[in-house]
Amino acid sequence: MFQIEIDNLNKHYGGFHALRDVNISIKQGSFVALVGPSGCGKSTLLRTLAGLEKTSSGDVRIAGQSVIGKPPRERDVAMVFQSYALYPHMDVEHNMNYSMRLKRRPKDEIAERTRTAAETLGLSRLLDRLPKALSGGQRQRVAMGRAIVRNPKVFLFDEPLSNLDAALRVHMRSEIRKLHERLNATSVYVTHDQVEAMTMADHVVVMRAGIIEQQGSPLELYDRPANKFVAGFIGSPAMNFLPATAADNGALVLDSDSVRIGFNRDIAAGRQVWIGMRPEHLSLKPGVNDMTIGATVTGIESTGSMTFVVLAVASQPVVLAHAGRPEACKGDQVRLHIALDNLHFFDRETELAA
Amino acid sequence: MQGIIRTIRDGSGFDILLLGLALVYLVAFSAFPIIYNIIMSLQTVDMFTITSFKRPFVGLENYSTIFAQPIAATVLWNTVQFVVLSIVFQLSIGFGLALFFQQDFPGATYLRGLFLAGWIMPALVVGAIWKWLFAGDFGVINYVLTALGLTDDRIFWLSDPNVALYAVIIANIWLGIPFNMILLSVGLASIPRDVYEAAELDGAGPLERFRSITLPLMRAQLGAVISLGVIFTLQQFDLIAALTQGGPADSSNVAQYWSWQLSFQTYEISLGSAVSVLMILFVIIVAAAYVRSTRHEHSY
Amino acid sequence: MKRYVLLVIGLMMTATYLFPLYWMYLTALKGSSEIFQYPPTFWPSDPQWNFLEIWKNRDMGRYIWNSLLIAIGVTILVTMLGTGCAYVLSRVRNVWMEIALFAILMMQVLPSSLMVTPIFVMFNQIGLLASPRIAVILAQTAKVLPLYIVLCRATFVQVPRELEEAALVDGSSRIGAFFRIMLPLARNGILVTSVLIFLQSFGEYVYARSLIAKNELQTATVGLQTFMGPNANDWNGIMTYAAIYVTPILIVFMLLQRRIVSGLTAGALK
Repeated sequence: MFQIEIDNLNKHYGGFHALRDVNISIKQGSFVALVGPSGCGKSTLLRTLAGLEKTSSGDVRIAGQSVIGKPPRERDVAMVFQSYALYPHMDVEHNMNYSMRLKRRPKDEIAERTRTAAETLGLSRLLDRLPKALSGGQRQRVAMGRAIVRNPKVFLFDEPLSNLDAALRVHMRSEIRKLHERLNATSVYVTHDQVEAMTMADHVVVMRAGIIEQQGSPLELYDRPANKFVAGFIGSPAMNFLPATAADNGALVLDSDSVRIGFNRDIAAGRQVWIGMRPEHLSLKPGVNDMTIGATVTGIESTGSMTFVVLAVASQPVVLAHAGRPEACKGDQVRLHIALDNLHFFDRETELAA
Repeated sequence: MQGIIRTIRDGSGFDILLLGLALVYLVAFSAFPIIYNIIMSLQTVDMFTITSFKRPFVGLENYSTIFAQPIAATVLWNTVQFVVLSIVFQLSIGFGLALFFQQDFPGATYLRGLFLAGWIMPALVVGAIWKWLFAGDFGVINYVLTALGLTDDRIFWLSDPNVALYAVIIANIWLGIPFNMILLSVGLASIPRDVYEAAELDGAGPLERFRSITLPLMRAQLGAVISLGVIFTLQQFDLIAALTQGGPADSSNVAQYWSWQLSFQTYEISLGSAVSVLMILFVIIVAAAYVRSTRHEHSY
Repeated sequence: MKRYVLLVIGLMMTATYLFPLYWMYLTALKGSSEIFQYPPTFWPSDPQWNFLEIWKNRDMGRYIWNSLLIAIGVTILVTMLGTGCAYVLSRVRNVWMEIALFAILMMQVLPSSLMVTPIFVMFNQIGLLASPRIAVILAQTAKVLPLYIVLCRATFVQVPRELEEAALVDGSSRIGAFFRIMLPLARNGILVTSVLIFLQSFGEYVYARSLIAKNELQTATVGLQTFMGPNANDWNGIMTYAAIYVTPILIVFMLLQRRIVSGLTAGALK
């Protein structure tokens, strides 16, 4: 049974096609991340689920019921906004139980559920404060509390952590994930940060220009990107791409240099491709089943635990990542070892995985 | 019926209802009168035909009658002087005051606020006060002028046809200064301090900074304030009613007052309509220019 | 040091500008013979307290009452019609809203003295002049409603859109979100703008003068105009009348000055 089903959803703003034929099915209890660069339509999709945007065509079902044309209040969804959207004229308690007061629930039920939610989020001592007297992290928690107090069918998150500082953001990621599991909720989470999407979600939907580029589990997207865009978007640092052309003997020849790379996949001779290599699959030391090409070190960035080596391979920049301290110096001529099993190939014209 | 209630509760019916209430009212009491005014200006409307719905159609005759009247030229010239002189002085004094109160000294904001007293008062009361200030024999203005040696004889501000218009203009400048000053102050405050500091480091003196930074960055504001000045000056009626009532001998009469006189004192209503149609047209053109200018503002 | 020199100059300029106000209060306090002294005195030698007398003799109670009625009527009508409209204009963005806003801006600038001719004839034909104070309320509402909408819209624009959306998701209807979230949050702006509309209507002159025929229904402005007459010389009384009339306006204004100014400038330049 799917909790949310989106069928062939389209959305136009005047002449602008904001969502094109979107299809997503979300199981009860799963955590879905919508990720993509700004303007890709991920927020529009979320707002469509909430009922804040009208759809142009297609169907959206929540718990088996079509919600097309229904106002937000008839959808039983809760939403955490990027700006938190706390009502400035209500204290924390009234912010949290506004939805239950609107539904005219019994007084003691409201009090009980507000108390439980506040305890869960550590807000018990802040209940009589106004939003302006709270810190950024506390406001974020109140926004979460406002959502969980209702026990809705679906939780919607619109970049809820983007206004927090880096440390708090990492902390809240796992908090939200834990909360999601404890409530056995169905969550849809919009973010532009692929690390957030990868670490939090069971199911990641990558969008660009209103189109779903690929969806699947985080590791599926990492291991088997369907196209060059997803390959470049998922993973940090980003995948390296080198342009190459297939030769007739089953080898690839780099365009900028006549370096040949042997490989074991069937690509028609003369086809132009991108070779994709993740920085973590490159090495300066020999490994199993790899090949080597010459490269020049043009820069080194070290965080202490990780080292990123910027190389020039046939005058193309390539980034290599390895754990630990730098093993080379700027200006060194080195041998670059490429693990052949982890290479990706994308057609140069369609950009689809070959 | 259910559908209508539903769209008002949850859909765009709510927007349409709220917007519609105000728009219907404005169409009935603002837009329709304008159209009716145009129709009346093409008919004969006087005391006998005022209640009738069928009035003789006379084409553009009212307009030619208006322009054939000997006072038309006087009124037109007076209106031009009234608007131009009012704005030139309101703007320059207002701008000067805005620049002055922009400087850092104790109580600057508070003192600037006091100027607005002149703006919030009913214009008719302001007219009454100025009428007393301008009084020929016992007026304080004549006293101050002679005491300072600026004039030898008393000026009969309101009864001398050569100066009556200027007396009205002076009072109108007084009324308009606060508004100009406040709007220009807002504009000045929105110019970031670091732009001036950068110019100072580049070697620009105070005058050069005013010419090369303040003026260009204030262009949009100045445009808006001038258009608003034209609009407000053409709205000015109460002051004239209190001070001179267009006299003596129409020497201080302006178009908006003349239109009213034609309609409500000599009951040549269709002539009043004709003047009013022309003036409304002019005001709307200025206002459209103003709205356009505010849409293309520098964004800071 | 320079700052105090500036302060002194500033004080002098403010005093010069406000001199007409001073002269009004001074004349009101002077005796009836002292006002005709030449050279004039700049401080009352024998202050007279004739406010009550003028209030009674000139029937000011009735005039002020009529002005109040009209100002209250206009303010109620304007807030009821304009608040929702301002809200919609601040929220919905499309070509039609742009056109509606432009039309409203245009109607904001129509001078009363030019609009009064067609309004008078129209009201006369539909019999509205039989209840002239209502006629003035209707005409003045049309005059100030656009200004109210423009200023209130600026207030609503400052309320984040997400707050309303959060209310909708929380289970509120559009009507509920408007009354329970938007209105409370825009309350200050609405209040200040209403006060501004009230003060403007309290000093209305053109419509009252043109649409009200009976003296007992006339407003304080027309009462003052009648008092001034063609050959007025009771300047002592006239200035007393003026002082009684404008002092409450000035007090209200001084109390709300800062807010009125910020609201006004936001509306005029945005």
